[in-house]
Amino acid sequence: MAIPETSGSKVVAPLRDAPAVAGHTGGLSARMSKRRTARSASPDGDAGTAFWLMAPALGLYAVFTLLPIAATFWLSFNSSAGFNTSASFVGFGNYAKAAHDPIVWKSLAHTFVWLAYHVVMAGGLGLLLALAVSRLRITQVFFRTAFFLPHLVSLAVVGVIWANIYDPFFGLMNTALTRIGLGAFTQGWLSDPALVLFSVNLASSWQGFGLYMLLFIAGLQNIDRSLYDAAEVDGANSFQKLIHVTLPGLREVTTFVVSLAMINGLKGFATVFVMTNGGPFYQSELITTYIYRLAFQSQDHGLAAVLCILLSLLAIAITIVFNRWRARLSQ
Amino acid sequence: MSVRNREWPLALALAPVLILILAPFVWLLVSSFKTEAEIGRADPFTWPADLMWRNYLDAWQIGGFGDLVGNSLINLVGVVALSLITCAPAGYALAKIRFPGREWLFYAFILGLTVPVQAIVIPLYQVLFGLNLVNTLAGIVLVQVSNGIPFGIFLMRSFFIGVPDDLIEAAKIDGASHVQILTKVFLPISTPAVQALVIISALSTWNDFFLPLIVLISPEVQTLPLGLVRFASTYASDYRLVFSGTVISFLPIILLYILMQRRFTEGLTQGAIKG
Repeated sequence: MAIPETSGSKVVAPLRDAPAVAGHTGGLSARMSKRRTARSASPDGDAGTAFWLMAPALGLYAVFTLLPIAATFWLSFNSSAGFNTSASFVGFGNYAKAAHDPIVWKSLAHTFVWLAYHVVMAGGLGLLLALAVSRLRITQVFFRTAFFLPHLVSLAVVGVIWANIYDPFFGLMNTALTRIGLGAFTQGWLSDPALVLFSVNLASSWQGFGLYMLLFIAGLQNIDRSLYDAAEVDGANSFQKLIHVTLPGLREVTTFVVSLAMINGLKGFATVFVMTNGGPFYQSELITTYIYRLAFQSQDHGLAAVLCILLSLLAIAITIVFNRWRARLSQ
Repeated sequence: MSVRNREWPLALALAPVLILILAPFVWLLVSSFKTEAEIGRADPFTWPADLMWRNYLDAWQIGGFGDLVGNSLINLVGVVALSLITCAPAGYALAKIRFPGREWLFYAFILGLTVPVQAIVIPLYQVLFGLNLVNTLAGIVLVQVSNGIPFGIFLMRSFFIGVPDDLIEAAKIDGASHVQILTKVFLPISTPAVQALVIISALSTWNDFFLPLIVLISPEVQTLPLGLVRFASTYASDYRLVFSGTVISFLPIILLYILMQRRFTEGLTQGAIKG
């Protein structure tokens, strides 16, 4: 595993600077990185060269990210009924409309529940398996590799797979439950309004936990061995070592994994889109799927833009909260 | 306590968990070789009477998987190459050159790391439309590169920051320009960062669904996940096709991963930690 030599006893010193994994965003490190930038810049300000080195990245980024961010903000104050119609200024009209739209509130509530499910199921399973797998020596690589396999499957493909697993007639879930004598637990996994969000999230979490497990394993490998020796000298049993050494040693990775899981959860789209398309009765509608529905199906761009702003604010809030938390941890 | 003492009990205890987690793969793989009637009999624990290799042939031809895989590969290579070309120089400039506006640029990139792509999708579509890039592979490559740029820049930058400034000074005395320093000094010693960037951008591109869904409308330009979803909903009642098509869409990457397991894991963790 490639945890840099820098760590030593400071468990996850490098993780503090870790905004993102696998193309998922995090962005939790503004303060730290700024300090570093100032320190290591070369003295001769070669602004012209810097501009040309930045130009390709900045150009693409400005056109396909910064401009759309600004335009989304603008759009949220305008009314537009489609891609080919002109917009008219409506002030906070779209915001008022959003406040009175029950599906907006539903999708917001579902998004929070969705995040909680994902953090607990994917993050929790990642932690438990990391604790177990990291104790293995001979078979560690085998288990690590095997447990990571689901993460390689595209979430859209996961949606197709799990829609079949949940199929009431030939699906793996209900048939397997029946076969092992748990027939009482068979469900309409995707048709039960109270269950659907959980069922879809289970599929997403199945795909997501492997990455969190890897990160926890990396964190575990960075815990100072001598702390365990000291605990043993003090007569600690394995449970006490877990509570007093391992878990505190994992605090920073945990912060990182939880924030990553929340940001990933916030972007959840593909599994819902593929498995239920928000149904039944909007019971699995998330902010992201509702944005898609509004923007590309009912063509209410003003309302969709308000949801876009809401989604961005949530993402920024999560980032700031965890950045603070991490800063406090590392003091 | 010797390793041997706890290795095998723990490994045995983990075996059922492993079976549960891998069950979807096994079920799908086994079912993909069954006949329609065998799947309909709804018992996942029976072995197919004959291995129906035909299912794969049919799915491949009917689903146009050749084109889908081809498009995904073009998409992947384009994004990985462009990401390296854009992020390495920008990361170098942010790490090692002092220039006006650097702070502001930094915050602008932080913004891009944070805001989910779904939150900017309407104007993004309009920009693509205005540039005539909707329904083109070039369009999907450009938006995905842009989407990954903040992460890529941070990753490269935090590696480059660790390279001593003395190296730059020495190279400058030898008359090297910043571009030469980047390509001849920095990149060669940054294999772990480059590896992380390649693996992370490749994986996220290969698996992306949302952006292709917006950009790639006609079947002949679609990528694998998008094509599979279309295929699975068109042939929803022909389970043997859906199953074998699904296996086709995840098997290659899983085999690739098993072959280069170490590099993959290193790249992912490295990227998480250094990014």
